[in-house]
Amino acid sequence: MRSLAVVALAGIGPIDESPDPLAVAKSGNRAAFEQLMRQHERLVLATALRLLGNMADAQDASQEVFLKLYRGLGQVTSHNLAGWLYRVTLNVCHDMHRRRPDMAVEADPPAPADPQRELLAAEKREVLLRSLRTLSERERQVLVLRDLEGLSTAEVARVVGTAEATVRSHISKARVKMKEFVERSFRRRV
Amino acid sequence: MRCEQWQERIALAAGGDLREAERAGLEAHVAECAPCADELAALQRSLALLREAHEEPMAEAHFAAVRGRVLAEIDARPRRRWEWAAALAAAALLLAGVFVFLRTPHQKSSPRRPVAAVTAPPAPSIAAPARPPTRRRRLGAPIRRVRGTVNPAEVSSEPVVVKLLTDDPNVVIYWIGDSQ
Repeated sequence: MRSLAVVALAGIGPIDESPDPLAVAKSGNRAAFEQLMRQHERLVLATALRLLGNMADAQDASQEVFLKLYRGLGQVTSHNLAGWLYRVTLNVCHDMHRRRPDMAVEADPPAPADPQRELLAAEKREVLLRSLRTLSERERQVLVLRDLEGLSTAEVARVVGTAEATVRSHISKARVKMKEFVERSFRRRV
Repeated sequence: MRCEQWQERIALAAGGDLREAERAGLEAHVAECAPCADELAALQRSLALLREAHEEPMAEAHFAAVRGRVLAEIDARPRRRWEWAAALAAAALLLAGVFVFLRTPHQKSSPRRPVAAVTAPPAPSIAAPARPPTRRRRLGAPIRRVRGTVNPAEVSSEPVVVKLLTDDPNVVIYWIGDSQ
């Protein structure tokens, strides 16, 4: 999904999609819109989860983002869709955060496949979520987009609506804060 | 340049964001500064760990829940629009009906005059005192005029009642007048 988002932002467009579900969805086709959601749901939900810190709020945010997409299908093209989704996700999460600044941070409950491995994975998820809470909202946004979602600094600057130099400043501070938190949490492992 | 001053560049380099022109200088510094080399390595490790946690697959149920809610909302939306449209159409129809009714010249039906029923009071009865049996008057005897007495209460107490029947069977107008 990350690679798909990067490709779409770079202007190449989604690969092997024929016909383009976005174009079909624009004509009011419900199934095409569902397909469009499936293609981008991880982008939206994972970003919202990292920004908000818990799954319930992330799902609420994702729902709002996709409803905005449905209402604004006319405004998006397959070239700007990923950027549009990131921007709207950031805005929706920002609004939710403003309404409820004391949101809970809850790691996604693990699926008990391999208990030992899952325990470590759950611990990492927990550290990821909690370390993100040590950042300011802007630092969190740029770190999620740049380091977790894999957008370039220029793309992050476009999505966030700020200068590239500002993004670089935020990202360097955010990385240092995250590293310090991770070191404290995984002192023995890292 | 002291190590603290390299920190921002080290953090940028950890994620591959250092500009080409700055990279050579940092590499040279890190090559001869162990603490900065450790800092760079620690940043790279923490980033790798966080990315690993982020890229873990999420349970399909989470996505399905969102999809279901969005599609349910989309399906509910046209129905709501349809209900609004129906309500507006009904209101418009009603207004049009009222307008047409008001604009159409109606044939005036001959107004039914109210039917009046006059209940006249019974004729006043004049009560005369019982007369003694008439005696034959003797010729030449003076005529005695007998004056009857009228009870005034009996004459004037009964009003004239006019009952008016209108088109509406529930409306009856009574006009009560003084007979005097």
